[in-house]
Amino acid sequence: MTTPLLSLDEATIKFGGLTAVNKVSFDIERGDLFGLIGPNGAGKTTCFNLITGVYKPTSGKILFKGSEIGGTPPNRIAEKGICRTFQNIRLFPSLSVVENVMVGAFLRHKTNIFSAFLYLPGAIRETEQFRAQAMALLEVVDLADVALARAADLPYGKQRRLEIARAMATQPDLLLLDEPAAGMNPQEKEELHLVVRRIRDEFQKTVLLIEHDMRFVMGLCEKIVVLDHGEEIAAGPPEAIRNDPKVIEAYLGEAV
Amino acid sequence: MKIWVVRILSIIGTLVAVFGFEFFMRGLVAQDQSLDYIYRLAVLAGLFVTLAVSLNLINGITGQFSIGHASFYMVGAYAGATLTNSLYKIQPLGPETWLFVVALGGAVAAGIAGLIVGLHSLRLKGDYLAIVTLGFGEIIRIIVFNQPFLGGSFGLNIADKNDKSLWAVLLLAILCIAVCRNLCQTPHGLAFLAVREDEVASSAMGVNVTRVKVTAFIVGSAFAGAAGALLGVYDGLITPDTFRMDVSFLILTMVVLGGTGSITGSVIAALLLFSIPEWPRFMVEGGKPWQVTGATLLAGAICLIVSVYLVKRTIDEYHGPQRTKTLRIVGIVGGGIIGTVLLGTVFGLIPVLANRTWDVGALRMVFLAVTLIVLMLIRPQGIFGHEEFGWQKAMKALRFGKPGANPT
Repeated sequence: MTTPLLSLDEATIKFGGLTAVNKVSFDIERGDLFGLIGPNGAGKTTCFNLITGVYKPTSGKILFKGSEIGGTPPNRIAEKGICRTFQNIRLFPSLSVVENVMVGAFLRHKTNIFSAFLYLPGAIRETEQFRAQAMALLEVVDLADVALARAADLPYGKQRRLEIARAMATQPDLLLLDEPAAGMNPQEKEELHLVVRRIRDEFQKTVLLIEHDMRFVMGLCEKIVVLDHGEEIAAGPPEAIRNDPKVIEAYLGEAV
Repeated sequence: MKIWVVRILSIIGTLVAVFGFEFFMRGLVAQDQSLDYIYRLAVLAGLFVTLAVSLNLINGITGQFSIGHASFYMVGAYAGATLTNSLYKIQPLGPETWLFVVALGGAVAAGIAGLIVGLHSLRLKGDYLAIVTLGFGEIIRIIVFNQPFLGGSFGLNIADKNDKSLWAVLLLAILCIAVCRNLCQTPHGLAFLAVREDEVASSAMGVNVTRVKVTAFIVGSAFAGAAGALLGVYDGLITPDTFRMDVSFLILTMVVLGGTGSITGSVIAALLLFSIPEWPRFMVEGGKPWQVTGATLLAGAICLIVSVYLVKRTIDEYHGPQRTKTLRIVGIVGGGIIGTVLLGTVFGLIPVLANRTWDVGALRMVFLAVTLIVLMLIRPQGIFGHEEFGWQKAMKALRFGKPGANPT
């Protein structure tokens, strides 16, 4: 059996007396469209923060391509090939749309800072190259027409798509989307659905997403893990999750 | 290939302009020794441009709120002075080449100081970092104040001063502007801006926030240090009092006034703030400074308040075409000036106001303060905001350039 792309092995984090994520284990294979769901406060975003290095796990292992990444600083993790979006959008508000995406491409820079200070031809070429890549990505998420607008001036749905483009610019192997459809109307959700599918099928990325909207997750993801109060309560394909009594209980309360 | 031609031509052009200006100023001084202070003003203006632009790199572009820039200026000045006093006599370089050595020495010393302060920026943000930088500035000043070998409160004499060093100051200022501007045009610069905008997001995108902040502090303070070293060699005397906290605040004001993050803004604001207190020195007739009466001052103050209020209201609330808006503002300003004259004449009839007079020069700091208040009221985001003003925009404004044409 090949090593999974990302594998959580009893990952646990405690904040004081609170165990936010308790012994969560799952494997994500290359090419998966993986969903992480659960009611509010279940520990989904904390799970993301563990994977992306914002928090260091109290115990347990997080393996990416077979090597331990728990506690590595976020920028090193981005370099290794995991990139994320944020639940509450965190763009660079006063930079332009294309510049936002270019920041994502920055970690692949080859020129050093002195050639940037002196604006040597290498730095100029790299700038042009990153700009072209950023424009290509903006095509994918359908934002090319607003490339020069300030990111803060975009409407909500477009800001969400811009975050995805920015994360894609790091050319990650694993893309983590934190509630990408939050606050979107049905039509925007439909567009997002297509974008995420395209990222997986066309760009061959592995996607792990957190989502509240059941219909969106069920229609998109092929494997799902359900968290509740930091514990993993179910895992499997959407059909199995839908009929799992524990999941129904977590979402709708105890059966009478 | 084309890039190099343009690059070399622009470097040659810069050198010609700088040395042309240097010889023009020397000619002026040679004709009339009393004009020496104009040469000095030009030197100080160049130094303040360097200081403002280098602080802008830390404060505006990287978003690290540092208000102790005078301390890096000071470290550079003392390093340059010590270097000159101990080595100048025993080295073979001429006074011109020595300026490069001194500037480099000051830059290295201040760069190390910048590294020390920069490391604090990793754990502290905003106001807290500001307090640390402020404290650092005072610590440095007080340490120097109490060191006999650095001259203590009397300052340090530099025996081999070079008071013909305007060209070096101008070259430093231009280098500082060029480096900051170049940086901002590459993805490296975007990483600096990203850190200013959102640290968490930029580190999630793979930007090494630590490295960016420390680099900004090192480069920014190194330029300030080079400026300090050139100041020492130009003046031949440096005292701790030259680098008091208010110098830090003046530099910070330049950055904020110009628009944080805007290099052109910093340059313009530095020149403006530095020169406003100097203008009244030129308002002299027949050896006697201009006088203003209490009547004119009172009338001016009233009209100023009214016009600022009206201009502010026009900017915020008038939503008509830009042309009419500009015309209205010009009209208000013109009305203010006419109003001052008329109201001044009326007030002139009151003996108490008409008989009290002041030298314009005595009021120069008042002018500076009023300018600051007015500019901040009318344009809180600074003269240029986050924008840059370059050839491209100048050409566009004059309707000469093709849209999108890139001069480099």
